[in-house]
This record gives sequence, structure tokens and C-alpha cells, in this order.
Amino acid sequence: MTRLIPDWEIRITNFGLGYILMCLVVAIAATNTGNNGLYLVLAGMLAAMVVSGVLSRRNVRAVRCEIETVGEVVATRPAWLKLRFQNRMKAGTAQSLFFLHEALPGPLWIDPLAPGESREVVVEGKFPRRGVYRDVDAGLLSRFPLGLFRKYRRAELAREIVVYPLPEANAVPEVPPEDARGGRPHPRSRGGGTDLRTLREFSPGDDPRDLHWKQSARMRRWIVREREAERDRAVFLAVDNAVTFPVDSAALERFERAVARCAGQALLLLSRGAEVGFHARGVKVAARGGRSQRLRILEALARLEPVPTTTAQPFPSMRRGDVRWFVS
Amino acid sequence: MGQKSMPPGLSRAYLLALAPSAFLAPLPLLWTHGSSRSAILLYELILLYLWYRARVERPVRVSDGWLNVLGLGYLGWLGFEMATLRLGLLRSVSHLLLFTAIAKLASLKRPSEARLALLVIFLLTLASASSSTHVSSLVYFAAMAWLGFRTLGRLAVLADFSDAPPDRVLASVPTAGMSAVAIVGAAACTVPLFFALPRLHGPFAVAPVRLEDAFAQAQTSDRVDLESFGAAKRSDRVILRLAARPALPAGDSLRLREADFTRYQEGVWLREPGSGPRRGTRSAFAGGGALSAVMTVELNAIGRGFLFLPYGTSAIRLDRGRAVERSDGVMQISGRGPVRYEVDVTRRPARVAGRGGISAADVPREVQEYALSLTGDLSDPKAIYRRIEQHLLKDFVYTLDPPRAKGDPIAHFLKRSKAGHCEYFASAAAMMLAARGVPARLVTGSYGGEEGLFARTILVRADNLHAWVEADLDGTGFQVLDPTPPSGVPPVLRSFSLLSRLASLGKEIEFFYDRRVLGFDSADQAGAAETVREQISEAASSLTGWRSAAAELVTAQNVGLLLVMAGLAYLLARRRRGGSSGTRRAGPAARAYLALRRMLAKRRGIVPDSVPPEEVARLFGREVPPGAGDARAVVAIYTASAFGGVEPGPEEKRELKERMRRLRKLA
Repeated sequence: MTRLIPDWEIRITNFGLGYILMCLVVAIAATNTGNNGLYLVLAGMLAAMVVSGVLSRRNVRAVRCEIETVGEVVATRPAWLKLRFQNRMKAGTAQSLFFLHEALPGPLWIDPLAPGESREVVVEGKFPRRGVYRDVDAGLLSRFPLGLFRKYRRAELAREIVVYPLPEANAVPEVPPEDARGGRPHPRSRGGGTDLRTLREFSPGDDPRDLHWKQSARMRRWIVREREAERDRAVFLAVDNAVTFPVDSAALERFERAVARCAGQALLLLSRGAEVGFHARGVKVAARGGRSQRLRILEALARLEPVPTTTAQPFPSMRRGDVRWFVS
Repeated sequence: MGQKSMPPGLSRAYLLALAPSAFLAPLPLLWTHGSSRSAILLYELILLYLWYRARVERPVRVSDGWLNVLGLGYLGWLGFEMATLRLGLLRSVSHLLLFTAIAKLASLKRPSEARLALLVIFLLTLASASSSTHVSSLVYFAAMAWLGFRTLGRLAVLADFSDAPPDRVLASVPTAGMSAVAIVGAAACTVPLFFALPRLHGPFAVAPVRLEDAFAQAQTSDRVDLESFGAAKRSDRVILRLAARPALPAGDSLRLREADFTRYQEGVWLREPGSGPRRGTRSAFAGGGALSAVMTVELNAIGRGFLFLPYGTSAIRLDRGRAVERSDGVMQISGRGPVRYEVDVTRRPARVAGRGGISAADVPREVQEYALSLTGDLSDPKAIYRRIEQHLLKDFVYTLDPPRAKGDPIAHFLKRSKAGHCEYFASAAAMMLAARGVPARLVTGSYGGEEGLFARTILVRADNLHAWVEADLDGTGFQVLDPTPPSGVPPVLRSFSLLSRLASLGKEIEFFYDRRVLGFDSADQAGAAETVREQISEAASSLTGWRSAAAELVTAQNVGLLLVMAGLAYLLARRRRGGSSGTRRAGPAARAYLALRRMLAKRRGIVPDSVPPEEVARLFGREVPPGAGDARAVVAIYTASAFGGVEPGPEEKRELKERMRRLRKLA
């Protein structure tokens, strides 16, 4: 994969090469004719190269760029990126700057930064895949002032970016209802049990089987039954992250799909008040419920990496009565 | 496969970026006749139309089909122009460039076409720059640099847009301040580069004017005709610049003799077939007499011209160029190009040696008769000259535009027109003297000048060219006689108000441009190198002198005093440093850790202060995997030192040093 922001800082452009070629042409013409007008043009062109190099270096190096995400970031879904730019030059406007990031569709134009100016820009981007971004492939690009050189500067991450997998949409939990029953007392919260808790309007993600047809007909709106929670046994969703190396693309695709399905199942169960945990080889998220659990599972899924079968650790152990549901 | 076509908004932005430079690029061709005026005007009008359409967001985009038709049509016209009209290669090429520029700007569909349009504009700039010889081309260069910088800056930005940029993009870059800084910086680099670039040929264009000009004929030829001399005097070109140490009194000291003429044939003065001084004869510049001043002259000579020398010249030293002394005390330049020389001027009377004057046989019969009718009753040469001078003064009119002569111009001047410029007056007087048997000859040169900006130099222009008579009236040698009426004699020394002095700054720049830019060549480079060498030599000798002087100052007392003062200054500085910050010098572990951070920053850009040491080691390991272990060890030693108070021992210090050496090598 070609990096957007390469490790080197400066590179001559095709236009720059053409410029050097034209310098040679003018030099030959000037030398052959002795025309001092041409010598003047040649000297000006060479001087412009020197000045261009100096200004270009100063222009990009002086700008600090930091990236931070706003809210949750889900792969292939729009996410907010907060970019912070600071021109550290005491004199001299930083200009002709573009911000590059793989989450953005193309270079993002940055308006000139006055000396000492700091600016925050929030942009919408899409991360192509789940995972943790520590070493960001993003930064500033500039061809200032004459387009002879392309100058890069890597951006800094305020903290690592965790991109959650895109949950595969599921209307029905794959875990059977009886697996969610146990001897512990009911917490009297909404969930996927059999006892009716209340009636409410339909919201996306609700099981169509819970529709209350009579009430819906009366109110001319979709009304669903909300049931009592049935979280008496902990359910552990599990993804087998051991793959045979070398990994082929089909296996990786299967693995990613399992991760996405697992995320979908976890969200569905949690939305119904279940206590859900997550298991993978060498990874364990204890079973809990609520929003914070949702983040824990999604983060674990975001960080989940395939491991070779030969070195893979066993799945974590479980308590008696808990259920582990393998998602594939 | 061609590139994808640009959206109209982007091609509009390209056109708006290119138009200002495209507008200015060919303008000098209007004056240098590098292109026909109608072609340039048509080009500018079409360009303005394209620009206007782009401004109102309805850019013109000629289709490829139409472009091909236009191209083929122009090809036919080009053939016709070259075969039938025969305007010359330069004009045909510049017309082709103008057409190509317009065609490209009217059909910008791909970024590569914008770059091609830029190339054509650049070629037009080259054509303009290479054909311009006037000092005002400096203004063109400055304006083109400004517009060119803005154009390139905007094109550089547009290169990263795949769609129409917002209007604020082109308006915001490059900022005026940055443009000014860039232009000034580039100009500062251009000057030394221009003078340092190697010259293998003589200058292509030599100031002040082209060789076919009347002035050039007047100044450079062994022959001067009366008409060309008058035409030359209408020019205001700077011929030479002179400075004298000490300043010479205004008057005849600013009468510079260039060449003398003794043969006259039908309105044309010719010099005796020239050769060097006869073997055994004394040079006219053999020295002698009390030195009055040293005059430095910079002459914009063209072709085989003559040195302008003041009367009383006793020695000549040429800085550059070569000159050959002729038998009549005239120095002829043997090369081509500007000449700089120094002249020793003595207080000798203005008497000039020479082999002789005009032969009476060369004087036209009508002039002889006129001379006899005017001075036939006199025999004393001085009286004869006085009579001639009075006659010319009272009955003749000075004009630079005399009536056209029928027959011999001098006879026509004396008998019919009675109007002419200095060369008519001097020619008539010289020939009438010769007709009466008095040795006389015509001399050309310059008289007077104008003060330079700081009054140290005197500029002599073409309108200071003058002609006068040298005649031997009393057998003591040829003396200067000027029969031209005062209204026709150039002012001795024009001095000016402050405003005029500022105007003369322009003239100085003009002279500088002609002499130092347009006429700059390898000899100048050699001279500059020699000057630098001399300067270094002088600096070295003054340093030697300073050392010997300093050696006298080195006494035990002075050295002791100096040491005490240095010690006090050191203590004071140390105390201030410690007092102001309260910090102490970092230990070896901290120094090593800071060096590690610097190495990391060099590779990754800035490393914020918030990055903890462990993270520094990790990031460094990621950047330079072979150095990961060393980086971790350095950070461990630093952490133990900074946070645990465990300073590294001698062994650890050595290890630290060794690890840092390895890390530096890897980084």
C-alpha cells in the first residue's frame, strides 16, 4: 500500500524537473548567444529555486498538526475528525497547505495560517477498516511557493484512534432465549424476557415479533411490547481469531465478517438488556450490561487481530452455567 | 489514454491564474519589434475577453475539433507569412507563440494543457527578455517576477485540486508579504548569480544603440558626414561617465577630444589613413608637465571608436580593452565593447601636436572664393580667424535641422542656408582658414556634461557631442578655436535641482544597465575577480599591520587585566544563568535521553513534551527497529536517574555513550 504521507520530507515534482530542464535550455541559449537578457532570466530562475527551497521548508515545518477523533468511530461510517493546526512562525503566513488523511476522500485545503495562529477544523471522514491507528498516515502537504518541491509533514495523534467494526445488522438475536435464563433475581429492567414490562413506540432494532398489532392499529403507529430483562446467565460471544498462516484473503475476509457479526449480536443483546461478554484467543471481556459494556466489546473487537494457529492461546475459561456462543 | 477532462470550474481557476502573466509576457515585443503590433494587440484583446469570461464564471472552452481546425488554419497562415510576407524568423516564431498561448488558454481541459500554456508564456517572456536592450526592461523583469511568482504559486495549489476550488483559494495565495519577501530574496540571489555565471562569448547586445544608428556612425567611424553628426546630437544616450580627482574646474577641462579630420570630400570628413606614430617620434602622451588631475572615464564605445581625451593628457591607463595611438594624437580602440581608462591631466596649454591640417586643394572652390571675399584684405591668421568667427556669429543660425543642401553642404551653408550645427560652423571655419593658408583641421569630441546624482561623476550624453577647429595661428602648435555660436555650444556643466537630481538617478541607472548589465562580459568578470583578489590582499596586509600593532599591546599587564575581566564576565554570566532559571546542567542520562528525543523528532517531526519516556523508546523502536533495544536501555537509565535518583556509574556512563553512538549511527 502506498502511504499518503511518506517518510521523506521533500520531493521534487514533475514540474520541478521541467523547471530544471528549462534552466538548462536557457543556460545553453545564454552561453551560446552571450545575451545578457537571457543571463538575467537564468540567474532569476536559479535564484527562484533557492528561494523556493527555503520558503517551502519553512512553510511546512513551522506548522504543527494534531488529529483527534470526536465521538465513536466506526469503520466505513462517517466520523468526525478534529484537526488542530498551529503556525509557529513569528513572522510569515503558512500557506498553500493541504491536509491528507486516508479517511478523507482527497486533500483538504487549509486556509493560510497567520503567524502564531492556531485553528481547529472539524471534518467528516470515513475510516476504511476497523482497528487501532497509532501511527497515523496523515499530515500536511504543500507545494508552496512555486510547485517545484512537494513538502510533507506528518501529523501527530492526540491519542490513538480506535475504529470499531461496523456491526452487521441483526433483527433477531442468535442466542436462544433459554440460554439467558438462570437462577439470579430479575433486575426489573427491560430486556428480552417473556414478562411484559410496558408498551412503547417502535424504534429501529426492535424485534418485529414484539409488535403489538392491536395497539398499533388503534394508534396508527407501530407499538411494541417491551419485556422484562432475562439476564440471569452471562452470555459470551466468541470469535476464533486463530488462523492458519500464511493467511489468505478469503480467511481474512471470513475473520472480519465474524468480527462484524459478533459486534452486531453484542449490540443487539445489550440493547435488550442482556449481560454480554466477549471471548477470543487471549482476549476476555467480562460479561456486563449497559453502554460501557458496549464500548468494551467494540474496542476489544476493534483491537482483535488474527493470530497463528500454532501460537494461539486457548479461549478463556468460563464459570459454570455461562454460555459461550461462537460467531462465525 | 488521455487524462480525464478537468471540471469547468477548475479550468476557469487555471485561466485566472495564468492570465496576468500571459498579458504581460509579450508586451516588450511591441517596442522591440519582435512581433507585429497588430498581432500583439489582437492577442491582448482575446486574452482580455477570455479573462472576462472566466471572471463572470462562463469560461471559454474551445472544443478539440475547433482547436484542430484553428491549428490547421494557422499553419496555412504561417506558411503564407514565411513564404510571402517574409516578416523574419523572430516575428514568425513570436506570432506562432502568441497563437499557441491563446489556443491553449481558450481550451484548458487538462492540467497538462495548463502547464503547456505556462511553457508558451515562458517562451514569450524569453523572447521579450532577450530582445529588450533598454533600461526599462528592468521594470519588465520586476513586474514579470511578481506576476510569475503569483502565477506559479497559484498553479502549485491548483495541482492538488481535482475540482473547482473556492474563490478564496486563489485570492489567498500567495500572500503579498510572502511574495515581497520571495521577490526580494530572489533579487538578492539573482545579482551575484548574474555576475558569476560564466561568459564564453562577448555580449550579444552592446549599449547604447545598434551599430546602424547614426550615433554609432558618428562615434565609431573614420569618417563623419555632416548629416549623421547632427542626427547623433539628437540622441540623449550616455556616451561616457567621468570623474576627476581633484574635481576639474568647469570650462575647457570638460572639452574632450576624440578624433581629428583633415580630408574633406563632398560633405564627408575623412581621417588621414591611420597608422601608429612614426618610429622615433615621441608619443603625444609621453608625460611631462605638472599633474593637475586624474580623470577616470568609462566609455560606452561601439566598434572601432576613439578614446575621449581631455586636452593636456599626459598618460593613459586602460583598465580593460585595447587602444592604439595614431599619429595625430588620437587613440583608437581596437576591440568592441565598453572601455574604462584613467587619464593623467596636466596644466599644459591646450596645444596639440599633429602632422598637419586640411590641404587647400581639398577645400571646395566656392568655399575658397567665399573665404577670399571675407578675409581677402587680411593677412594675419589671428585677424583672419577673428573675422571668420565674427561673421559666423552675426550672420548664421545654429540649428540641428539644417536645410537640405544642393551641391556641397559647406558651400550651401555659407552661401545659401546660413544655418547648421556645430560641425557646419567648425567645418566652414576650418576650411576657410585652410583656404587662406592657415594650418587647420576639424576636431570632434564632446563638450561639457551634466552632474551625476551625487555630483561626483559627470555624465556626457550624445547631445554633448561637439565639433570645433584646431588651427596653428602663430606657429606654436594647433590651438582650440570654437566658431560655433554660444547657443550651439553644449552647456559646460549642467547642475540640477533636487528633482532633476532624482531624474539623473534614472540616468545613472540607465548607464549602469547599459554598461554593467547589457555589456557585461568575461573581461568584466576577470576585472571583478581581480578586484576581489586585490581586496583580499589589502585586507590581508591590513591584518598583518594590525597584528604587528596588536603585538605592541600584548604586555603582561594588559594580558593579566584581560584575563581578570574575562574571569569576572564568566562568573557573572554563570551566576545570571543559575539565578534566572534555577536549573543545573543536565546529567549524562538526561542528555542522552534528550538526544534520543531529538533524533526521534528529526525522523517523525515534532515530539510533544507530553510524550513520556517509555513512549519515546517505543516510537524510536518503531522508527528504527534495530535501535529499539538501545533506546529502551537509554530510557531505563534516564528514568532511574531522573525519577529514582540513581545516577549512572562510570560503567553505565560508558555503556550509555556506546549506545548513543550506535543510535546516532542508526538514526
